[in-house]
Amino acid sequence: MKSYFALVRGSFMAIMMYRLSFFFTVIGNLLYIVLLYFLWSSIYRGVETIRGMSFNQAFVYVALAGSIFTMVKTWADWEISWHITSGSIIMDLVKPLDFQFYFLSQTVGFMAFNFIMIALPSALVLLLFFGADVEMGVGLLFLPAGLILAFLISFAIDYIIGLTSFYTESIWGISMTKEIITTLLSGALVPLQFFPDAAQRILRLLPFQAIYHIPLTMLTAPNLDVRACLGLLGTQVVWVVLLFLAGRLLFTRASRVLMVSGG
Amino acid sequence: MNDTVVHVDHLSKHFRILNRREGLGGAIRDLFSADYKTVRAVDDISFDIQAGEIVGYIGPNGAGKSTTIKMMTGVLKPSDGTLLVSGNEPYANRRRNAQTMGVVFGQRTQLWWDLPVIESFRILKEIYRVDDATYEKHLGMFNELVDLKALYSQPVRKLSLGQRMLCDITASFLHNPRIVFLDEPSIGLDVSVKSKIRSVIRELNRAQRTTIILTTHDLGDVEALCRRIIIIDKGKIIYDGPIGKVTALFGAYRTLKVQIHNYKEGTSDQLEAALGARFGGDAAIAVEHTETGWTDVTVNQDQVPLFDVLRFVMETLPIKDVRIVEISMENVVQQIYDGALK
Ligand SMILES: Nc1ncnc2c1ncn2[C@@H]1O[C@H](COP(=O)(O)OP(=O)(O)O)[C@@H](O)[C@H]1O
Ligand SMILES: [Mg+2]
Repeated sequence: MKSYFALVRGSFMAIMMYRLSFFFTVIGNLLYIVLLYFLWSSIYRGVETIRGMSFNQAFVYVALAGSIFTMVKTWADWEISWHITSGSIIMDLVKPLDFQFYFLSQTVGFMAFNFIMIALPSALVLLLFFGADVEMGVGLLFLPAGLILAFLISFAIDYIIGLTSFYTESIWGISMTKEIITTLLSGALVPLQFFPDAAQRILRLLPFQAIYHIPLTMLTAPNLDVRACLGLLGTQVVWVVLLFLAGRLLFTRASRVLMVSGG
Repeated sequence: MNDTVVHVDHLSKHFRILNRREGLGGAIRDLFSADYKTVRAVDDISFDIQAGEIVGYIGPNGAGKSTTIKMMTGVLKPSDGTLLVSGNEPYANRRRNAQTMGVVFGQRTQLWWDLPVIESFRILKEIYRVDDATYEKHLGMFNELVDLKALYSQPVRKLSLGQRMLCDITASFLHNPRIVFLDEPSIGLDVSVKSKIRSVIRELNRAQRTTIILTTHDLGDVEALCRRIIIIDKGKIIYDGPIGKVTALFGAYRTLKVQIHNYKEGTSDQLEAALGARFGGDAAIAVEHTETGWTDVTVNQDQVPLFDVLRFVMETLPIKDVRIVEISMENVVQQIYDGALK
């Protein structure tokens, strides 16, 4: 456990080395919020609610989706793929660590940094300067757990995609597909409520909405009760377990291939 | 007491690779092809290594050195034969065995690129659960040997190749492993760094009686460090024994590299014949034209003075440039095939 914590700490330090890039992310995030404000104001011009959502709800939803993005984006798929194709995976395998937790630990530091330095300040700016309101209900109590689980789901998906490098020359295609699906169909860009009912039913069966829509629901849905929140967390937990297990299974198979063919 | 750290018995590693065809059409046909060929990267080798030995595992490029190391570190599974490191099959329990090994691959690093060197060491200390006292003692020893302290605050990506290698070697010994594998640790380094690295390796072996397997295609490394060498070529062991016998033989060899003005096919054969006629026709002088444009004249100095050969070559042919180098690994291997060690 302590070894993995050392990796978390290390990755937190590593990201601090890139101060300039951090600066640009903050600026970019603020610009994004401004852009969203004008975009959604114009969408809501002359109407009170769209599909049951007020302007305030929809705006908070999509703006905070931007903050969640900076937190759950792990880049683990590219990182793992790079280790596999460059062969530096050998240096990972000669360490007495579990492969999945090894990479997880190294992204937790990034996540923590981005949460503290980008997601949290963006959310505060949103509340203080844009007059946005979040729902002051039980949802807020469940939010920390919801965010952590969202991060774990996002990581587990990236981990699986990274491992496919064992079988394909490049993960570019599959990673882009995932990126597009996650952006469009998870609530990251457009609230899930805006999709046709039939589409929503399907999207709710996919893991992607558990990354964005679920934590955003905790922040914006009115009158959430404890039971509803537990249901949301439960869905996330199921995805974490399923996706982590799938990743472990894939690694066992893939490393067998590596051990035989040398990658 | 049986102190065998590595036991290798009829060990083989075969790779199956697709015979690729040329062009786009070939690439498309390759998709459906079942035309495989087998590469015998390691082909039926056997040896034992005792605790505390430094063994030079040497051979030309593509001989199978790295493949052997990868099997011993548990990254590759043997195709055939027995392999035990500290009594365990390395691939069977990768994580447990990793705890007792140290590994350096010359072209890779186990350090964290963006972090200061000392932070990488701290992470490794936690990963391998090294206690504070052992950790301090090790770093203290390294500081005495190579003065690493100045590098501690530098991010790894800012280090020179030589500095990085010193740090990587330091890192591989931090957890006091029973055995350390060094795969081409001196590749691409200049002479002064090489000698530093050699002294570090020697000291580490002495201090903890750590078994070291050193892979290289630089004969200088093994001359400086090893009492025993294993020479491998095309997956097979062609020599396993004391280094003395090898250096006694090859220490006397030098290669005269010459660039001949207007080189034509057959010039090297003519030169070999002329040298044979002048200095006697035995195996003391061999001439070979290489793809780089240099012609290699390998001379056994015990039998023929090098400078006489040089003078003769300069008088016979229009020479643009000359270099004198130690005998190459490829040459040693060729000489062994020719019966030099018999
Ligand atoms: N993963 C692999 N797949 C196919 N062939 C390989 C693989 N790894 C190594 N080889 C081949 O095995 C032989 C030995 O390689 P290697 O052990 O890297 O040699 P060395 O380290 O002595 O230079 C070479 O012919 C190399 O091309
Ligand atoms: Mg090699």
